[in-house]
Amino acid sequence: MVRLCGTRSACDTGLGHALLVAMPAQPLSPTSRVLSRAARVAPLLARAAIVAAALVSFVPAPPRIVLGPPQTVITRNPAICVHTRLTDEVEEWKVQRTLALVREMGAPTIVEYFPWPYVDRGEGRYDWSHPERIIRHAEQQGLRVIARLGLVPARLRPPAEERVTSLTYLPYDAFDEFAAFVGAFVARYRGRVEDIIIWNEPNLAFEWGSRPPDPEAYTELLRLTYTAAHAANPAVRVLGGALAPTLEPESSGYAMSDLLFLERMYAAGARNWFDALAVHAYGFTAPPDAPPDPAAINFRRVELLRAIMVAHGDENKPIVITEAGWSDDPRWANSVRPGQRIAYTLDAFEQAAAWPWLEAVCVWNFRIPVDQRNRRDAYFALVSSDFTRKPIYDAIQAYARGWESPYTP
Amino acid sequence: MSRIPTWSARARSLARRARQHPRLLALIAALLMLAATLWALTRPGMPLGPVDLTWHRMQVNRDFYVGIDPSYPPFAEWTPERIEGIEPDIARELGRRMGVETSILIMGYDGLYDALYTGQVDLILAGLRADPLYADWVHYTQPYFDAGQVLVFRRDAPYSSIEALDGKTLAVEIASLGDQTAQQWQRRLRSLEIQRHMLPQDALDAVARGEADAALVDTITARLSLNSYPALQQAEHTTAPDAYVIAIRAANFRLIDAVERALDGMRTDGTLDAILNRWLGSGT
Repeated sequence: MVRLCGTRSACDTGLGHALLVAMPAQPLSPTSRVLSRAARVAPLLARAAIVAAALVSFVPAPPRIVLGPPQTVITRNPAICVHTRLTDEVEEWKVQRTLALVREMGAPTIVEYFPWPYVDRGEGRYDWSHPERIIRHAEQQGLRVIARLGLVPARLRPPAEERVTSLTYLPYDAFDEFAAFVGAFVARYRGRVEDIIIWNEPNLAFEWGSRPPDPEAYTELLRLTYTAAHAANPAVRVLGGALAPTLEPESSGYAMSDLLFLERMYAAGARNWFDALAVHAYGFTAPPDAPPDPAAINFRRVELLRAIMVAHGDENKPIVITEAGWSDDPRWANSVRPGQRIAYTLDAFEQAAAWPWLEAVCVWNFRIPVDQRNRRDAYFALVSSDFTRKPIYDAIQAYARGWESPYTP
Repeated sequence: MSRIPTWSARARSLARRARQHPRLLALIAALLMLAATLWALTRPGMPLGPVDLTWHRMQVNRDFYVGIDPSYPPFAEWTPERIEGIEPDIARELGRRMGVETSILIMGYDGLYDALYTGQVDLILAGLRADPLYADWVHYTQPYFDAGQVLVFRRDAPYSSIEALDGKTLAVEIASLGDQTAQQWQRRLRSLEIQRHMLPQDALDAVARGEADAALVDTITARLSLNSYPALQQAEHTTAPDAYVIAIRAANFRLIDAVERALDGMRTDGTLDAILNRWLGSGT
C-alpha cells in the first residue's frame, strides 16, 4: 500500500484526505507539518473551550450598576460638605448609595481620599479605576469632589527591617514622583475635579512618615505639586495645609502646633504655592462659638489660622474646612452628648455662612465601610455602615432642606 | 417480589458477619479506643493538649498586663498619682484573685485590639462591647457592667417596664439611644408621648417636676445622678442593654477560665457591686 500522507498522524486526523489531493507523494514541507499538528490539537482545543465556557457561565456576573439620571443637590446652605470615606469600599453599589445619601442630605461637596498607591503602577504608569468609580458616581449625584491626595507606594518606602515608618513616609528625593502623580491626576480629571488637597496633617509625625514634622520640606512638596498641577490644569486649585489642630510644642517630635507650622510654611515661601488653605477644625467638647485661643482646640481656631494668612498678605485666599465635627462616642471624655453634637454641627454651618472667607465645612465623616464600635471613627459618622441614618443625618438634612426634624434642638 | 430488609434484619446480618471476623472486630475496637484516648489527651489542659503560653508566663513571672484607655471617667482616668476608676479596680482585683501582680498599660482606645493581638497585654478592659468582627480570635467575657438605657421614675409611681407607659409621657435625651428606643416603643404601644431634652439630666428634672411620667436615660447618668433626686428611682433592668465586657485572646483558654471564675466570684461575693457603687453610686 502506498502511503500518500506525509505522516501517520496526518492520515489519522483526516487532514490526509486533503493532502491526498493536494500533495504529491513525498516528505511534507515544514508548513504542512505545522498544519498537521494544528489539525491534531484543534479538537482538543475546541473541547477545552466548551468546558471553559461552561465554567465561566457558572461565575456570577458582577452586579449591574446603573448610573441613573444626573441628580442635583438641593440645599439652603452650599457650605455644607462631608468627608466621605470610600477609600476602602469594595462594592460599587455601596459607593453609589453613599453618594446618593450625601446628595439627599443636602451637601453639595465631598472630600474624598485618593491614595497614591491605589493608582500607582510604577514608572509613571497609573491605573485609574479606583478614583474613576468614585468620581463618576459623585458627578452623577451632582456632587463637587475635593480630592485629598497622599500616602506612599511601598516601592518608595524603606523596608521595615531597615526603618520603621508609617505608610506616609515619602523620601525627600521622591517628592518629584509624587508631584508627577498629582500632575497626572489633575490632567486626567481636568474639568471634573478642580480642587486637590496636598497631603494630610503634615504637622503630625505619624502623617509625615514617623519623622518629626518639617514645615520647610512640606513647603517644598507644595511647590513641586503646585507647579505640576497648574501645568496640567491652570484652573485647578491647590489646597495646602490640612493641618491637625494640636497644642504640641515644637520640641515634641510627635507633632507641631498647626499655628507654628503655618507660620514656618510662610517663612519658607509657601505663599506662592497654594490657592486655598485646608483646615481641620474639631470642636471636641467646646461649642462652635467658644472663642479662639492659641492654647485651646476648638472650632474657631480656624480664625487664628486666618489671622496668620492675613498677616502674610494672603487675605484673599479662601479657607476650606476639610475636616470638622464632634463625636458622640458614649465612652470618650472628648465627646459630647448626641443632642449637643447636632446643635454644634448646625451652629458650625451657620457660623461658616457668616465668614466670607470660608467656603465649606466638611464634616468628618459621612460613613465608614465597616462599623467598628470599638474605634473612634464610628462615632463621628453620620450614617452607619449598614446605611442606617443616625439622628444627626436627619437633623442636617432637615436643616439643609428646610424641613422639620424631631432632632432639631 | 423482593422485600426490602428491615433495619433490625440488617443489624442482625451485620452482627453475624462480625462474629465471623473476630480479629477485624478487635482491630476496629482498638482503633476507636486509640482515637478516643488521643482526643481526650489533646484537649486543652490535658498532657498532650495545647499550651496557654500567656498563662504559663503569668505563673512563672507572677505578672499580668492589662490594657486600659484612661479617657473615660469614672471607668478609667489618669490622675497625677495613678490610673483610677472602675476598670483599674477590676483589673487589680482580677490580678489579686489570680495571684499575680497587675500592671496597667495605658494606651489609646483605637490601639487596644492591636496591643492585644500583638501580645503587649494579656487582656483589654476599656468599656468594650462584644464585636463580631473580632470573634475569630477574641473571647469576650461575661459583662461586668450594663451601660444601657434604663427607666427612671418617681418612687410613688413606679413602672416595672416600658410597656406600662402606654398613654404616658416619656422623657428622653434628644437623639440618644434612649430616644431611638422610645420611638420603637411608640410604634408598639397605643400611645406614648416622647418628650425630648438636650441632656439626660434635663429628662430626669422633668420627671422630678412631674412633667413626665418616666425618663429613659443611660445607666451611667442614672446612677451618677440619682443621689440628687431622692424622689426618683431606676428600674432593676435596662430597657436597651449595652454590656461592657473584657476581651482576651481566644487562644488563652486558661486565662479565660481564670478570669471568668474571678468575675463570677466578684459578682457572687459583692466585690463587683462594691467597685461599681464606689464610682457610680448605688443608683437608688
